[in-house]
Amino acid sequence: MIIDANFFLELFFHQLGLWWVVIPSIFLGLIVGGIPGFSAANTIIVLLPFTFLMEVEVGLVFMIALYCSSRLGAGIPAILVNIPGTAGAAATPLDGYPMAKQGFGQRALSISFVSSILGGLLTTVIALITMPWLARVGFYMHSVEMVVVMLFGISLIASVATKDTIKGLIAGFVGLMIGSIGADHVYATPRGTMGFLELYDGVPLIPALVGLFAISEAFMVIESGSFLSKDRVQQVQNASWAETFYGVRLTLRRWFHVGWTSLIGLVIGVIPGAGAAIASFVAYQQSRTFSKTPEAYGKGHIEGLIAPEAANNGVTAGTLIPLMVLGIPGGATAAIMMVVMQYQGVPTGPGLFTERPDLGYGVFMAMFVTYLLMSFTILPMSRYMSRVTLVSTVYMSPIIIAFTLVGSFVPREYMFDMYLAFGFGVLGYIARKTGYHVAAILIGVILGPLLEQYMLRALKMSGGDATVLFSSTLGNFLWAILVATLILPSWLNKKKAKSEQ
Amino acid sequence: MTKLTMKRRSFIKTGAAAAGGLMIGGGLATPALASYPDRNIDVIIPTREGGGADRLFRAFTSLWKNHMNTNFEPGFFPGASGRVGYEVYMGKYKPDAYSLIFGNMGPEVLNWAVKAPSFNIDDYIYFNRVDTDPGCVFVGAESKFKTIDDIVSEGKKRALNVGTSRLAHPASIGILALGEHTGAKFNLVPLSGGKNTVAGAVTLEMDFCVLTSGSVIKAADACRTMLVFNDKNVAGEKLDNAPTMNDYFGTKLPAMFSARAFGIHKAAVDAHPDRFEMLQKTGKKAFDDPGFKDAFLKSKGFWPYANYGGVKECAEFKSAMLEMGERFKPLLTGK
Repeated sequence: MIIDANFFLELFFHQLGLWWVVIPSIFLGLIVGGIPGFSAANTIIVLLPFTFLMEVEVGLVFMIALYCSSRLGAGIPAILVNIPGTAGAAATPLDGYPMAKQGFGQRALSISFVSSILGGLLTTVIALITMPWLARVGFYMHSVEMVVVMLFGISLIASVATKDTIKGLIAGFVGLMIGSIGADHVYATPRGTMGFLELYDGVPLIPALVGLFAISEAFMVIESGSFLSKDRVQQVQNASWAETFYGVRLTLRRWFHVGWTSLIGLVIGVIPGAGAAIASFVAYQQSRTFSKTPEAYGKGHIEGLIAPEAANNGVTAGTLIPLMVLGIPGGATAAIMMVVMQYQGVPTGPGLFTERPDLGYGVFMAMFVTYLLMSFTILPMSRYMSRVTLVSTVYMSPIIIAFTLVGSFVPREYMFDMYLAFGFGVLGYIARKTGYHVAAILIGVILGPLLEQYMLRALKMSGGDATVLFSSTLGNFLWAILVATLILPSWLNKKKAKSEQ
Repeated sequence: MTKLTMKRRSFIKTGAAAAGGLMIGGGLATPALASYPDRNIDVIIPTREGGGADRLFRAFTSLWKNHMNTNFEPGFFPGASGRVGYEVYMGKYKPDAYSLIFGNMGPEVLNWAVKAPSFNIDDYIYFNRVDTDPGCVFVGAESKFKTIDDIVSEGKKRALNVGTSRLAHPASIGILALGEHTGAKFNLVPLSGGKNTVAGAVTLEMDFCVLTSGSVIKAADACRTMLVFNDKNVAGEKLDNAPTMNDYFGTKLPAMFSARAFGIHKAAVDAHPDRFEMLQKTGKKAFDDPGFKDAFLKSKGFWPYANYGGVKECAEFKSAMLEMGERFKPLLTGK
């Protein structure tokens, strides 16, 4: 089979012909992505027997569409009601929710959708072209390098702590402490579990996520009676289609920003074991670092919303590359896809592109088609979705609490996780009331265990020699960039202030 | 205090209970048996829904339910390498043969050697083993190591980093035993799960990795297998016709399996030998059922690894795992 432009064109139209699978899957993905605790991975698991019955191509298209749209769907509640549907959307409410509270929910959704779709389309095309080379990223990004990548994300704590440094750092430290609960990664010695077996694998992410963000927010907004102030309510009620198109324009004007933040997602996605949560925090941190208006981040900054959404959609193409090229799944959803492919007798790894190039390239083309169809199907919905913020919090708060408690129960089906979510909700509420940033706590909870895991792995490999952290060329290069991104902005600010004087 | 080895007396007692059950069950149906089972049987699965254990459980019980004339209802209690599920089963379920656990005798029993659970490990017994998946040594497709001799020879010069799913794992024990036998130095690095372990080998972060061979077979051409911790490489070409450790090095290492089997409270066996006998007998029938192969293959199982084992085989394996765990405890716990 000749792999040329005609091949890709035929593949495109062939995948487009499967719209009858893609469109329903998009809507299913939106729902499961938006409900905390549900995800593309566990939905595909539940529907696994169903996918076994489909033709392999149809089954893969179904999974791809579900996967992409669930990633996008997770950002919707994150923006409107401060509930990230998955850990990958945890950085989205940092600027998305403040926009919604200012009455720009429709615009925020539009920005989120367009940046997700553009990020997804761009990274899919790049993945198609550069797959063999991108797959090599995993050969260079080992534990040492990943320690530095984690530090990029964790340094965000310092950024969100700019208002009140001490409180921000305390919140981040509390998060890291909570993240260290559970059995250690080498000898499985339990730490801080207080005797609860349910905490042996660490603090489960979803209860922490929904507790800190959603439940604490529900407590806060129930006091005010509405998500929006009176004049903002009027603003949302009067919003027309123009608001959606304005969001589109704002995003398209920042095409370069969408591009490079989605590339961060793509590269992090390629690394086996890394994921959307890391990518979105790193992209947000980098976006803030290189912004001309970093002080506006956290208050509804457009680029602060674009960065995590473009990055976490860039991850989707990235996680499939190691599966397709090397035969090793880059994430949970990719692992389930591997099961389906093997069940159908389709090889994964290098053999896929020689034996079934239509499927190998077809997977990425299906992703491209999904993102394309999402722009027609989901974007118009932003106007109606944003109306959620008009619902009185008297009704919304109990709904949020009920949904999120169920969501925290779903992944492991432990009642304990519901209590835990509630506990995190109380912690988040106290933090908000006393001026501590819940995002700083969450960054510690999400990235702390990953940092520890990579750090311990690197140290175990070196026999406890800490200099291993500076033993690789790529690692040292990343260290230099990290130091530069931390020091440069304040140095430039000082220089600017001096010159103004 | 929890005992880490199955005592001889308890083994004999269990065996006697099982044998007694067999004799009684030969035709003397008691009133209790006549009504058993009159409801669904709960099965605790100490791993996540949708995983390999779940798929195998569904494949096996799709046949077993016909022979038992009842349904098996799974409950998933993942966490702490299976510890959560066992603690829930032993602590919260009545020993009445209406609840079972579907566990992995290899890594889960090794867990007890590393850290004793809150219950006495002789208080449950395994039966109806469904599969045995031997551990193996493998490298990424681009690794410089071509044979196990290359690995051993390099291991004598420097400590090689060996990726493993977790320290308390049969494959980890296998490589430690190889190091002990050959004098090669191996530094075990836990990579948290089979997926990451395969990635560790493929991306060359590790010198090589050890894992249950079923996962390595799934990785296909991305990996090359060097050694199998079993008496025979039943997977043959799928594992690159790699030699077994016992054949190649003349060792007498017990098979280092991941072996899925059902477990039951020993108190249930003692109180209801007839029920236990029925569970065993029908379990064997389900395994021998011609439909099982199809269900097993649909669950993505590798058919040569389907391997029935009764109480005796399971007890022997459990005992061997505990013994090996004790032997290498300092290396597994860092103490």
